[in-house]
Amino acid sequence: MSLPKPLMRGLLGKRLRFHLPIAFTLSVVAAIAFKYTVTEPRKKAYADFYKHYDAVKEFNSMREAGVFESVRPTGE
Amino acid sequence: FQNFASRLSCIIVCFPAPLASRCYSHGKVETDEEFDSRWVTYFSKPDIDAWELRKGMNTLIGYDLVPEPKILDSALKACRRLDDLASAIRILEAVKEKAGPHKDIYPYLIQELQPTLTELGISTPEELGIDR
Repeated sequence: MSLPKPLMRGLLGKRLRFHLPIAFTLSVVAAIAFKYTVTEPRKKAYADFYKHYDAVKEFNSMREAGVFESVRPTGE
Repeated sequence: FQNFASRLSCIIVCFPAPLASRCYSHGKVETDEEFDSRWVTYFSKPDIDAWELRKGMNTLIGYDLVPEPKILDSALKACRRLDDLASAIRILEAVKEKAGPHKDIYPYLIQELQPTLTELGISTPEELGIDR
């Protein structure tokens, strides 16, 4: 049984022509997916936290807890 | 970057990329037959030296193709002229590796080279048990 002649040229080129566009597209999709599942929710979480953040109130409760060295709690 | 972009578009555009083509917009592209006969001639040099054999094989292996049986035939005969059995067997190992995942290429090559292998007394890596 004599083997037929297989294709012997341009094998890598053929493989790259097929796989590179897929690889490129998948990377872009992965980046977009990461942006909308991770970075945007994080940014939103920070924005929501600071939307109604009262810095003075937080400062006073920290002061009362005694964590500062420059100001002592009121009443000392 | 321009060079890279044009090189990249070459992989896409040059179809089926005659492998020795550098994607010049000018200049004749070599046909497969011309390429093959160039290499057969290279290895057929009667007084080829060991360096030229190694250089030729290394260059040939760098291309995106598995060498044709007639090129390998010429190279194996050059090994015979140089009394270099080791290189002859190494050539067989190299082309098997070049075929990569395409497992039908190597058996075909051995089939086509069998007369030369018998004539020159070259054992295949499989026969020697060194193919594992």
